[in-house]
Amino acid sequence: MAQASQLIRNFSIIAHIDHGKSTLADRLIEYTGALSKREMEAQVLDSMDLERERGITIKLQAVRLNYQAHDGKIYELNLIDTPGHVDFTYEVSRSLAACEGALLVVDSVQGIEAQTLANVYLALDNNLELISVINKIDLPSAEPERVKQEIEDVIGLDASEAILASAKTGVGIEEILERIVAMVPPPKGDDEAPLKALIFDSKFDAYKGAISYVRIVEGRVTKGTTMKMMSSGKTFEVTEVGVFAPSMRIVEELRAGQVGFICASIKNVKDTQVGDTITDADNPADKALPGYRKATPMVFCGLYPVEASDYNRLRDSLEKLHLNDASLIFEPETSIALGFGFRCGFLGLLHMEIIQERLEREYDLNLITTAPSVIYKVTTLKGEVLNIDNPSNLPTVDQIVSIEEPIVNATILVPSEYVGAIMELNQEKRGTYSAMDYVSKSRVKLIYELPLSEIVFDYFDQLKSRTKGYASLDYELSGYKETDLVKIDVLLNGEMVDALSFIVHRAKSYNRGRKLVEKLRGIIPRQMFEIPIQSVIGNKVIARETVNAMRKDVLSKCYGGDISRKRKLLEKQKAGKKRMKQVGSVEIPQDAFMAVLQIED
Amino acid sequence: MPSLYVHVPFCFQKCDYCAFYSHSLIDSPKDFISVYLEGLEIEMAKMQKDAPQGVSSLFIGGGTPTVLKETDLERLLKMIQRYFPMDLGVEQTMEGNPGTITEEKAKLIRSQGINRFSLGIQSFNDQLLNAVGRIHTAKQAREAIRRLREAGFKNLNLDLMFGLPGQTMELWQASLEEALSYSPEHLSLYGLMLEEETPLYERYAGKTSGERPTGAVQVDLLPDGDLQAEMYEWAVMRLREAGYRQYETSNFARPGYECQHNLGYWRGADYIGLGPGGVSCLNRVRWKNIEEVHAYDNLLRKGQSPLDELGKEVLSLRECMAERMILGLRLEEGVNFKTFEKDFGADLRDIYRSVLERYKNEDVFIIVKGDYLCLNPKYAFVANSILQEFV
Repeated sequence: MAQASQLIRNFSIIAHIDHGKSTLADRLIEYTGALSKREMEAQVLDSMDLERERGITIKLQAVRLNYQAHDGKIYELNLIDTPGHVDFTYEVSRSLAACEGALLVVDSVQGIEAQTLANVYLALDNNLELISVINKIDLPSAEPERVKQEIEDVIGLDASEAILASAKTGVGIEEILERIVAMVPPPKGDDEAPLKALIFDSKFDAYKGAISYVRIVEGRVTKGTTMKMMSSGKTFEVTEVGVFAPSMRIVEELRAGQVGFICASIKNVKDTQVGDTITDADNPADKALPGYRKATPMVFCGLYPVEASDYNRLRDSLEKLHLNDASLIFEPETSIALGFGFRCGFLGLLHMEIIQERLEREYDLNLITTAPSVIYKVTTLKGEVLNIDNPSNLPTVDQIVSIEEPIVNATILVPSEYVGAIMELNQEKRGTYSAMDYVSKSRVKLIYELPLSEIVFDYFDQLKSRTKGYASLDYELSGYKETDLVKIDVLLNGEMVDALSFIVHRAKSYNRGRKLVEKLRGIIPRQMFEIPIQSVIGNKVIARETVNAMRKDVLSKCYGGDISRKRKLLEKQKAGKKRMKQVGSVEIPQDAFMAVLQIED
Repeated sequence: MPSLYVHVPFCFQKCDYCAFYSHSLIDSPKDFISVYLEGLEIEMAKMQKDAPQGVSSLFIGGGTPTVLKETDLERLLKMIQRYFPMDLGVEQTMEGNPGTITEEKAKLIRSQGINRFSLGIQSFNDQLLNAVGRIHTAKQAREAIRRLREAGFKNLNLDLMFGLPGQTMELWQASLEEALSYSPEHLSLYGLMLEEETPLYERYAGKTSGERPTGAVQVDLLPDGDLQAEMYEWAVMRLREAGYRQYETSNFARPGYECQHNLGYWRGADYIGLGPGGVSCLNRVRWKNIEEVHAYDNLLRKGQSPLDELGKEVLSLRECMAERMILGLRLEEGVNFKTFEKDFGADLRDIYRSVLERYKNEDVFIIVKGDYLCLNPKYAFVANSILQEFV
C-alpha cells in the first residue's frame, strides 16, 4: 500500500475573505468531474446559507478529487477547506496539520492581507509545501507583478513560479492541479503502524451521530475497529468509514495518508474534538499527534428570549447548534431585567454573530443579545481569583483587590498612508506599540498589544472606516494584564438594568457613560411617562438623560366603516411592541442592549 | 335595531388628507349620480329586510352629500324614507361641506326629515384651508352656518381640525373660539392624521419639522405630536368651561345632543351601510360594498350582491370583544360590564384580567365606575398604548 499513498495529495487553500477561495474550490471540483456542472450548486463547499450570503466559510469541509495528471496516473487529491476568519485560527491550524501542501491564493488587486499572512505562518509551522496562486487576473485592475513582489518581500517565498489564475474564468486551473501533483509531497506514514487519525472537523448527523472528519496519519481503520479518543480515553465502535466524493461515500477502510470520515454512533460532538487523535483501542499508539487543545471561547454575551415562554426553545436550539459546534458553550443565567437566559461563549465576534443569526433565522427565535464581554480575572480581598464573564457579576469595589483583562497580540497590515491613522486608533484603544515593518514599499505591518475588550468594542469597524477598508487584522491571545477598570451600571426610571452594565477603563468611563445614555435616549421610544436614564459608577451618577413622556398616540376618529382597519392598526402596533422587552415599567427595544457597542470614543 | 348609514361617494374635489373613497365631480361623467342613485335604490329594496323593526338612526355621509343638486338630493332622501321610514324623534344626520350649502338645499334637506347637520368647517382660516385642499372659505362657512340655522336646524355639529400644516396654537384657538360663538350643539375635533396614499402624506410623511409654526402661516411646517397634544388639551379644557361634555375622544356635546348614530358604533351596535364602499356589520359579520360606482350598479342590476369579497369578515368572538373595548374606551362612559356579559357571555374582568391588573397599578390608566370600565381621561390622547392591549 505504500505505493498507493504515492498517488495521494492532501492540500488546503489559504486565502483572505473575498480572495476567491470558494470559487477556486468549485472550479477544481468541476474540472476533475467530482460533480457534473448540473450538480454543482454554486460554491459547494460553503454549504450553509449564511456562509454563502456572507461569502465566508464558517465550518470547514473536505472533498476528494480524482485527477488524471499529464503523467497518465490517476491521483487522489484531498482538498481540506479552511475557515477564513480570525475567530477560527485553531481550526485552520488543525486542517493545515492534516495536509502536506497548501495553495496560497492572493487576490491580484488586493495583495496580501493580515489573515493570509497569519495562515501562511501556520502552514509553515506545519511544514507545508506552498504553491502561490495569484487569482482574479481577469480583473482590469490586476497587478500580478506587484503581488508577486509582495509575496517575495512579505512571506519570503519565491514567487517567480506563481500561477496566474482566474477561478472565475477557469484560467490556470489545470496548471494548479498539475502543480499540486508535482510539488505537494505524498503523505508518509505507515499503514501497519498503530492507528493515528487527526480529527480536523466534526459534524453531527441525526442518524449517524457525531461524525469525525479525519486525516489518517498512520495505520488503518475499518468498520468494527474499537477506536479510542486519545485526549479523553473514551472508546467507540466504528460503524462506518468513508470518503468525501464530494458527498459522503462509504469505503472498506481508510489507510495512512487518506482523508475521510469515521462514524461510531457518538452521541455528542464534544467527544470528537477538533485536534484530537483517534487510535485503535486494541493496538493503541503510544503518543497522540501534537497540537491538540480545547477550543477556548474568548467572547461572552447573554442571550435571552424576548418572550419568557421561548426559554426552552432557546435551550433546545442552542443544544442543536452545539451538536455541530463544540466551541459554542452556554450555561443558564438569570438577569433581573431580562429573566432567564444563557451566558454563551464564542471564539470571537463573528462566531457570536453567526450563532445569533442562526438562532433567529433557523430556529425562529426572537432574542435579546447583551453587549459582548471578555473574561476578567478578579482578585478579591479574600484572596480568591474569579473569572468574570458577565459584568453584572463583578464584585463591589470594596471587595476587589485587582482586575486583570485579556490582552492580544495584534498584527495589522495596512497601506503606508494609513499608518498614522492606525497608530492614533491604537492609542485610543489603549494599545502598546511592539513593532513596525515595511513589508513592501507601500505596505506596513504593525504589531500592537491591545486589550481584547477594545477589539470586542468597535475596533474592527473603526479599523475599516479609518483606512477605507484597506487594513486587515489578525490577533491572538497573549495573556492577562492588570488594569484600572470600573463597572458602569445603567438605571432606567430609577431601576438598575443589569443587562446594560459594562466594564470599562476608568479613563474612558465618563465619556462612555455619557454617550451611552445619549444613545439610549434615542433608542428607547417615548412611553406613557417620563423615563430618566442614568449611568452610574457605584453610587455616583455620571450622566443623565430623559425620554419625555409620549404626548400623542391616538386614533383621532373611528366610525363604522373604519373599525376593522383601526383594529388591525392597533394589532400592528402591538406586534411592534412585542419585539421590545418589558423591564420593570419600561419597554426597551432589543438593540438597546447592544447600544454600548454603537458609541464612539 | 341597526343604524343606517348611506354613503354618497362624491366630492367637488377631494381634500389632501382624505383616504376615503370618493369621486371628484369635476372629472366625472354627467350620468354618474343617476347611476349611483339607481343602484342605491336596488340595494335599499334588498336590504330593507335586514331592518325589520326599522333603523335606530340615519347618517348620510361621504364624500360630500351636499354636492348633489337639489333634485338628486330630494330623490335620495325620499328613497330613504320610503324604504326605511323613521319616526320624528329619530336622529337623522347629513354631513356637508360649507361650500356646497345653498339656502334652497338647506331648506330642502330639513323639510325631508333630516334633523341634525354636521358641517365640515375644519378651520376659520383660509390659508390653512387652502393648505389641505379644502374647497371652501371661512366666509362660506359662516354663511353655511347661518343658512342651516335659518332652515331650522336645531342640532348642528361643527367639525374642526387641529395639527394642520402651518397651524399655530393661536390660530387653533381663534378657530375654536369662533366656532363657539355660533353656539353649536355638538363639536368634533380631529387631529390631522397622515394617511398613506394621500397627497398630504406624500408631502409631509417622514418630515418632522422640529420647528413649531409660529406667527405668520408657514404651511411647510407640520405641527408635531407635542403641539397637537397641547392643542387638544387646551380645547378639552375650553369646551368643558363652555358647557360641553366630552363624551368621546374627539366629540363634545351639550347635554342631550350626543350623536346617537355614532354612539351606536362605539357601543357595539349593528349597522347597515349602503352605497358604494358602504360597510355593514350584522351579527358579527362585517362586509364592505365595492367602491366603484358603475361596478356597484351593475352587480345590483344583475340581482347580485354588491359586496367586495375582500372586504368580508366573519368576526371571531375575540375580535368582537376587542372592538367593544377599543371603541368603548373612547367613550367617557366606558364599557358596560353588564352589556358585555350579555353580549359575549363572559365577564370582561376575567377576559382582560392581566391587562387590567397591569394598568391598575400604574397611575390608574383604567378606572372602574359603577357598571362601567373607562379610561382615565388624562390619557385619552395617548390611548393607543392602552387600547392595543385589548386587541
